[in-house]
Amino acid sequence: MSKGFASNSRIGLLAFGVLLSFGVLGVRLVDLHVFAGPSRLRAASRARSLSFPLPAQRGVITDTLGNKLAMNVPEYQFGVDPQSLRSADEGKWPELAQLLQVPLAEIEETFRRRVRGPARTATGPADESLTIRLNPAGSAAAAAAEPVEEEKLPALAGLPPVEPAAPAAAEPAEIKWAKLGDPVQDFVRDQVMALGIKGVYANETYRRVYPQKQLAAHLIGYVNKGSVPVAGLEAAYDYYLRGLNGWQEGERDGRSREMAQFRSRVVAPRNGYSLRLSLDSVIQQFVEDELQSIATQYQPASATIIVSDARTGFLLALGNYPTFNLNEYNLVPLSEQASMKNIAVTNQLDPGSTFKIVTLSGVINEGLVTSESRFDTSRHTVLIDGKEVPFMEDDHHADGPMSVAQIIAQSSNNGTAQLGLLLKKEGLYAYARAFGFGERTNLGFGGEITGRLNRPETWRGRDFTRIPAGYSVSVTPMQIHFAMGTIASGGLLLQPQVVQEILDPAGKPVFVASTASKRRVLSQSTARTMAQLLMGVASPEGPAKAAAIDGFQVAGKTGTAQKIINKVYSTQNHIGSFSGFFPATDPRVVVTVIVDDAKLPGGKVNYGAAVAVPSFRHVANKLISYLNIRPPGGAPPIGQRLAAVQGGGR
Amino acid sequence: MIPHTPLEIYLSLFKTTTRERWDWITPGAIAGLGVIGVCFIYSAQYAVPQGSLLAEFWFKQVLFLGLGACLYVSVSLVDYRRWLGIAQFFYVGCLIPLVVVFLPGVSGGSAERWGASRWISLGPLGTFQPSESAKIGVLLITASVLVHSRVGSIRQSLGVLGKLALAVGIPLFLILLQPDLKSAIVLPPMVFAMLYVSKLSTRFFAGALAAFLLVVGLVAWDLTRYVNYMEDNGLKISKENQGKYEPHSFLPYVHDYQRNRVLTFLNPEKYDKTGIGWNQEQSLISVGSGGFAGKGWTQGSQAQLGYLPRAVAHNDFIFSVIAEEKGFLGSLTVLSLFGLVLFNGIRIAGLARDRLGSLLAIGVTVLFAVHVFVNIAMTIGLVPITGIPLPFISYGGSFVLSCCLLQGLVQSVYRFRKDFS
Repeated sequence: MSKGFASNSRIGLLAFGVLLSFGVLGVRLVDLHVFAGPSRLRAASRARSLSFPLPAQRGVITDTLGNKLAMNVPEYQFGVDPQSLRSADEGKWPELAQLLQVPLAEIEETFRRRVRGPARTATGPADESLTIRLNPAGSAAAAAAEPVEEEKLPALAGLPPVEPAAPAAAEPAEIKWAKLGDPVQDFVRDQVMALGIKGVYANETYRRVYPQKQLAAHLIGYVNKGSVPVAGLEAAYDYYLRGLNGWQEGERDGRSREMAQFRSRVVAPRNGYSLRLSLDSVIQQFVEDELQSIATQYQPASATIIVSDARTGFLLALGNYPTFNLNEYNLVPLSEQASMKNIAVTNQLDPGSTFKIVTLSGVINEGLVTSESRFDTSRHTVLIDGKEVPFMEDDHHADGPMSVAQIIAQSSNNGTAQLGLLLKKEGLYAYARAFGFGERTNLGFGGEITGRLNRPETWRGRDFTRIPAGYSVSVTPMQIHFAMGTIASGGLLLQPQVVQEILDPAGKPVFVASTASKRRVLSQSTARTMAQLLMGVASPEGPAKAAAIDGFQVAGKTGTAQKIINKVYSTQNHIGSFSGFFPATDPRVVVTVIVDDAKLPGGKVNYGAAVAVPSFRHVANKLISYLNIRPPGGAPPIGQRLAAVQGGGR
Repeated sequence: MIPHTPLEIYLSLFKTTTRERWDWITPGAIAGLGVIGVCFIYSAQYAVPQGSLLAEFWFKQVLFLGLGACLYVSVSLVDYRRWLGIAQFFYVGCLIPLVVVFLPGVSGGSAERWGASRWISLGPLGTFQPSESAKIGVLLITASVLVHSRVGSIRQSLGVLGKLALAVGIPLFLILLQPDLKSAIVLPPMVFAMLYVSKLSTRFFAGALAAFLLVVGLVAWDLTRYVNYMEDNGLKISKENQGKYEPHSFLPYVHDYQRNRVLTFLNPEKYDKTGIGWNQEQSLISVGSGGFAGKGWTQGSQAQLGYLPRAVAHNDFIFSVIAEEKGFLGSLTVLSLFGLVLFNGIRIAGLARDRLGSLLAIGVTVLFAVHVFVNIAMTIGLVPITGIPLPFISYGGSFVLSCCLLQGLVQSVYRFRKDFS
């Protein structure tokens, strides 16, 4: 360096300066890397960790044939990122508004609101800034003129998405996504995307739809707009249907976008299981058509028809009137909310004569009588616990002592009460309980009630003469149906079931329901005798004629109960019912029709026979051809008639 | 004997003595830096594949470095004294692009988009940054002026200082007009260093320091006015409100975004971390989270996920990527390699046969020192964000080429430090 032309000392000083600056860098690097490192590392991972749910698709609900009763359709929720809008696209806004069916003014407001935060109240320049901000052309021009250096451009892009600010939040935050209108279908989405407006995009969601609208509405139930299952099978089987939402723990990039290549953990959603019901849409349609025609003809307060497989207890159809469209559950006015109840399990009614099968079955099963045992029905009172208690009046008075067969055929209240006396209070109560009264059928959903069957100790006065005939007890249509089903099944109280299979998302059954009976109520021979009694007694002059089905033996029982209006039995308001099964000797289906308060022409009393029996026949005829039911023993016995028994109740 | 014709130069390469004349320290360090640069440009853009190899930044950088190596060797082979004769022409030649860049349609679309005219579009070849050539022009003209003059006391040197003020002032003004503050700030330290080793009176530097402090004072006063103005009018100091104060400022050519940067630097807690201070904050997180050994190549979450914005990760903030993925060891390696280049540069300045060689070596070395210091200091939060790239590591064609040319000059100073014949 001796030859140096520059000052050695000055070069040395420069070198020292460089060394010093390097020293500063070195110290700072040690500080950052070694001492501040861990906290910075936490800051980094906190900023980018991201976890969001991957929604599972809800399982579908099909009928036994595979027809979809509840399913999901994809739909698309449009939104806008106001930060990435281009003024060049502004001309397309009206078309967008039209496609999304949102007023243009609303679209414009959403598009131009780029930050959320406190409303500015200051005057002067603040107002100017507000004007500038709300004028997209102006702000675009301002943005273009803004001397931003290239490396600064993405500076704001890393803002995490901000939820709507609470009123207290003082800092204005950029809006990254604002909802536009309601979800739309795929073809609308395609049209909107074709517009090519930058910053407008859609997220896929699923909407629950019920393609058969009101069909089996009370069984299926619905999922509300908040994806909460509210009623019916949707709610009861939600555990299976809802599936398991997955989630994704990922990392988001500096622009808050999820980075697929850095997914640290993806837990895939498991779609819900599907339900295959025992319900048959065709039969359900028969039932609902019939309910509709009942409604048109008689304007009843309500009506229920239940059809089940006599051998298994699986429901084939269950319909209630009034009903509602599942897709429009939210449009049902408050005054008609009752239409959403599954009255088959929530309505409490006096069963009337149909309950007589309990009494009759009991005495036969206990061997207390045979079908030929005779009773004097001309007595008007009976001595119970030392008190003279009146029998209920009969409509038809027999000439002499009535056989058991006649008692049931003519539905004698007096005779039935005498049969009940043979069983004693405890016996009658035990049989009523055995038939499933006073307990839920355990359909499993729909807010089922137990009905009311008081314990025998509390029976007072007339109760003992009334209960055998179906008064002073309250039951549900479902209880009546399965009580009748007990006779059809050969003495077993079957468990009502509507879900036949639960299938995993791949379609493999994970649960297959099998016939379940709750208990044996009657011996098989008693059941056979009962079936004989319920069909064998022809009553050509009674209105049961209307239920006759050519070539089929039908076993069944009508019922008519007075409704309790203002705490007294009304003579004007009745519940008519018919519950029966066929073919009587080899039962295939059990059908129950219950009509509450039908308005008959001329103010006639709604006896069960008048309304429920013809409906039963209509449904039964369709079932016979649809299910291809043949009478047992080959060719149908021509001319043999329905032996469904007309019952007067009183 | 100085080889003059290309043939002489070519033949001189094969002389034993000539081979021994090469300095291997600087080119070795440069090669190391270049390799590191390519690796981490690759890593910085790892998450955003460009589609074709030719479009990949790292590959383009390889091409630039190859081109730069050729330029380096070519410049080294030429006796640095030959530049003296053409310094004026070269200087004027360097100024032309600085003027051309203002002609309409010359800047590429991207340049216009950011509101600054800093690039000249070369069509398919990319863009050319005229401020790079200006550095070389200013270096040569300053060296030329100082070599031809006597420098000593201020009084003696007034003429020289006047010439220099003009020679440096014109390009500086043109660069500031673009506006490109960052490229402008590297010139004064270089010129001052060259003046300093030319034995200019220390009183001049005392005066310069005073002037510098005055400028700092002015800026501080302006910033205070800026903050007060914004507060009085209920405006938040944020990106949104940039430009609102400018009409009321007394300092021309200073923009609100620059004010914001200084404020962010001075008080990052107060001035919106996620807004203005985002880059610096993320850079600090990157460096800090790298720890001692780093997260591994292409494994740096800050860089890969774009927290360190992608637009800057491979150029101005490449050091953050290295620091994050290779930790303290990586930072230290880079720093050491730069140390080699710089101290070797100073050593060569001392070895130079004449004042020109010394001045060139010092000028180049200080220029590099400013780049290295400001760039690294900005990524680790020691100075405000300025967007000065890191030599040989940051992505950028014209920058790589100008760096190679400048270091080629230093090599030439070394190679021709004495007659080896």
